[in-house]
Amino acid sequence: MGRQKIKLAKIEIKNHLQVTFSKRRSGLFKKASELCTLCGVEIAIIVFSPAGKVFSFGNPNVESIIDRFFDLNPSVNPSSTAFHLLDAHRISSIRDLNMQLSQILNEIEVQRKRGEALEKMRKNSQIQNWWEAPVNELVFHDLEQLRDAMEELKKNVSKQMFEVTNPTTFFDSNNVGVFDQYETKPTQAFVNSSAAAALSNNFGYCHGFF
Amino acid sequence: MTRKKVKLAFITNDSARKATFKKRKKGLMKKVSELSTLCGIDTCAIIYSPYESQPEVWPDTRGVHRVLAQFKRMPEMEQSKKMVNQESFIRQRIAKASEQLKKQHKENREKEITQVMYQCLTGKGLENLMMADLNDLGWLLDQNLKEIYKRIDELKKTAPPPPPQQHVAPPPPRPPPEAPQVTTGNLHLLQEQKPAVGLTMDAMQRPQWFTDWMNNPSDHQQMNSFGHGDEMMLSFTDNNHNTMWSNAFFP
Repeated sequence: MGRQKIKLAKIEIKNHLQVTFSKRRSGLFKKASELCTLCGVEIAIIVFSPAGKVFSFGNPNVESIIDRFFDLNPSVNPSSTAFHLLDAHRISSIRDLNMQLSQILNEIEVQRKRGEALEKMRKNSQIQNWWEAPVNELVFHDLEQLRDAMEELKKNVSKQMFEVTNPTTFFDSNNVGVFDQYETKPTQAFVNSSAAAALSNNFGYCHGFF
Repeated sequence: MTRKKVKLAFITNDSARKATFKKRKKGLMKKVSELSTLCGIDTCAIIYSPYESQPEVWPDTRGVHRVLAQFKRMPEMEQSKKMVNQESFIRQRIAKASEQLKKQHKENREKEITQVMYQCLTGKGLENLMMADLNDLGWLLDQNLKEIYKRIDELKKTAPPPPPQQHVAPPPPRPPPEAPQVTTGNLHLLQEQKPAVGLTMDAMQRPQWFTDWMNNPSDHQQMNSFGHGDEMMLSFTDNNHNTMWSNAFFP
């Protein structure tokens, strides 16, 4: 948020002007929306962009406010029952939407703080552990060690993934599958699970959550 | 400026509502005016309230007519393209906020898995990781390895790698180094333990090569004990934590 004092004159740098317009227009509509919710008033705001496009905000909608301003449809009786029902429904939707928005904004804040905490932990551990430094800062010798360690871990991850999906399959020292001793074998679908594929491919990781 | 967080709901108290209306309406008009001046654009505002029979406007009635006429001159499609009411406006904000949240989750997830990766590199076991975590861990390892290989190639091209200091002494005979230094040559990949029949893979016990690696006194600092590592470790057995990972994906 800019805490600089703004000179109240047309912004000279075109890029700044665009950015300012975008932010302030959004903020303006947000304030208008809040005013409508808090005080139950009817509003219209029309804004032309520097590029000549037009943005408008209206409660209940832009058209009805414009018509009202031009005094069209004077027969609309603001206190009719039907009007109230429509109003009530609209107000309740908006209340729900506002709640939904609030929740998401709160969650963003929670996650942002979590991100900061994780970042702090990372920085602390980088001080103590050379292998956590950025790759470009490592010397050749250390890079090779790290590479080997990671390759090893990768193999182990593949193994573990296989284990997780095939928990009862294990091999004796002759690499004979235990199930070979029995009548029933795991079904083909099971054996061909993606974890088995990952094990054989070694590079079969999907993006998961990234 | 009020420091209390205002609940976004209709103010039922009549006088409080009227007071809020006056303040906020004034602020809104000021913002409209600033927008117009700073960006050199045309704009107008119309506010109907139960407190006045006539609407309150900015800049003035004439100005409003002018802007409205300008508005009406535009093709219908252009008028409605960026037109919103409260509902659609809030929906837009929800969509944007959801995207932001998704992005933040993704970043946090990457940070977490990075932490897991370093813990596993220093000996923590993989047993408590769920499939999703293993998947992400594997992906992250791939990413890191890509970078490492690239960097190794770069270094090989620009300068041949200097032999690690602990290597065998050069031809002219020299007194042997003081303490037996662990050399690169001593590092060996994990010897896979032969699992006894009936055991699940227990190869995650701290491997010998790793202890050597950790004790390697070349340029980097030494880890004194695993006490360091323990402080930093995530609790894998925290069920809530694991659940969070597996449900981390937000639609």
